[in-house]
Amino acid sequence: MTGARERLTGCALSLLLLALSLMAGPAQADGSATSTQAQQRARAVTQVVLGILSYARWPTEPVPLRLCLIGPTEYADDLIKGNVQNSGQPLQVRRLLADDRQVAAACDAIYIGKLDDAERDRLFQAVSGHPVLSISEADDPCTVGSLFCLRVSDQQVAFEVNLDSVARSGVRIHPSVLQLSRRRGALP
Amino acid sequence: MKASLKKAVRPTLRSVLGRAHLSVALLAVGLAGISLTLLGVLALRVYANHNLHLIARSINYTVEAAVVFDDSAAANEALELIAKTEEVADAKVFNNDGEQLAHWQRNDEGVIGHLEAQVATALLDEPINLPIMHHQQKVGHIELIGQGRSLLLFLLSGLGGILFCTILSAFAALYLSRRLLGDIVRPLRGLASVAHAARRERSFDRRVPEAPIAELNELGNDFNALLDELEVWHSHLQNENATLAHQASHDSLTGLPNRAFFEGRLSRSLRNAARQQDHLALLFLDSDHFKQINDSLGHAVGDEVLINVADRVRAQLREHDLVARLGGDEFAVLLTPLHSREDAQRIAEKIIASMQLPMLLEGGDSLTTSLSVGIAYYPDDGSDPASLLNAADAAMYQAKRMRRGQWQAAQTERSAADFRNRS
Repeated sequence: MTGARERLTGCALSLLLLALSLMAGPAQADGSATSTQAQQRARAVTQVVLGILSYARWPTEPVPLRLCLIGPTEYADDLIKGNVQNSGQPLQVRRLLADDRQVAAACDAIYIGKLDDAERDRLFQAVSGHPVLSISEADDPCTVGSLFCLRVSDQQVAFEVNLDSVARSGVRIHPSVLQLSRRRGALP
Repeated sequence: MKASLKKAVRPTLRSVLGRAHLSVALLAVGLAGISLTLLGVLALRVYANHNLHLIARSINYTVEAAVVFDDSAAANEALELIAKTEEVADAKVFNNDGEQLAHWQRNDEGVIGHLEAQVATALLDEPINLPIMHHQQKVGHIELIGQGRSLLLFLLSGLGGILFCTILSAFAALYLSRRLLGDIVRPLRGLASVAHAARRERSFDRRVPEAPIAELNELGNDFNALLDELEVWHSHLQNENATLAHQASHDSLTGLPNRAFFEGRLSRSLRNAARQQDHLALLFLDSDHFKQINDSLGHAVGDEVLINVADRVRAQLREHDLVARLGGDEFAVLLTPLHSREDAQRIAEKIIASMQLPMLLEGGDSLTTSLSVGIAYYPDDGSDPASLLNAADAAMYQAKRMRRGQWQAAQTERSAADFRNRS
């Protein structure tokens, strides 16, 4: 009995909300659209990052895999909630400051948000020589530093690979990912 | 009515042989072809399914990364790369949410594509559904439908092979049956023609030639042996018949024709003479004193005398004349054709004269006998055998009464009138 009533009130509430949103119409439309788009992008980014991680092999398999988010990120909200990899192995996600000295020792993979050039250089100096997989979220020419550079758009999340960095990092990446990235790079 | 008509039309040896050969050949080819094709299809079906699974697995590996990154374009590209070159009619890639990520379809329109699809649905395990695994986790699945081209090709070529072999074996069967027919029918035909000749023309000298087939050769040999026996039997019968016929018409002692033969010949000659307005003469001969010879010297001597008389009379006659022994010591002579009475009288005189020479008997004795002759002329003294014989008989007795060993012409009214007219 009570369940039915609750459902009824829920229905009424949603109807009210719908009416309100319809009346609010043009003013509210832009904001809600961007928020759902942002959610979609976050989801897609999460999938791509987890995919990249699943195709990567470290010299010694890290358990759990430690993913560090560095700098202000735009699409990492979903990522930080996760605690399991595609393979089912545990995943540890935490935020670090760009200047943290422990980066190389505390992270197996780093997800880089918006950093200025100096911060970026320092970061890569810190991780150089360590098997750390780096993924840049923001616009990055992918010529120096980061192994993977995301190209986030509404249609899809593409990525590029810096093969020099991959070779230097000591993290092995499955060739099919490299192939996928190259093809994506070829796309306009 | 119809059934009896049907029964009357018997199949020829050729059609029977041809049908037998043809049915054996068709049966053999059909059974072998169908069973081979079935086995082939079954084996091929196993391999085709296996192949389809292999294709599915390789598609799996290729699209794995694309599915993990949810990249539809890459998945389509990878799918096409493999499906295009393999026997795949339709392939779909789904992600874990059941969304279709990539789809590839062979555009095979037309009869052949339709047939391939039919064969594939009939014979292959379809559709194949294989999960896409990434680190032991299912990230999506693919659905695959086979094309069935190689199966269709195999089926078609199998059917073609059966058809070709059927036609080939039909021709071979016809050729063989024709050859066999020749071997069988030729000897049979020879046998039939020989049998026909033996039955219709009584020609028992023909024989069946040798045949290449043992049974037919044996039949021919037996038939030939039968013909040999038949020929011997037939000639024996003919001889017997001829002997019997001769015995029936001839006198066994003198070898001259008997009374029955003579009368038959006489009536025939009379008919001919009547038709052709011819003349003929009948001489009736009787030995004088024959009874006394028989009684005093014995029957053996009497027989000897009769044989002598017959020989001598026969020696006096012309080619177409006939002498017969009518019975006892009586002989008759038919002279035909006859040109004049004088010819008959001259022959009668010659016969009488031939008796004047003594006969040498076997015992060493010699004997002289004489004949009395009566002559009757046709048509003057009678126009039928009986009256002519009577007239001649009467003339002979007259001659005997007047003086033995002479001839006397018949004295009938007509001949007397003739005689008066002439004198």
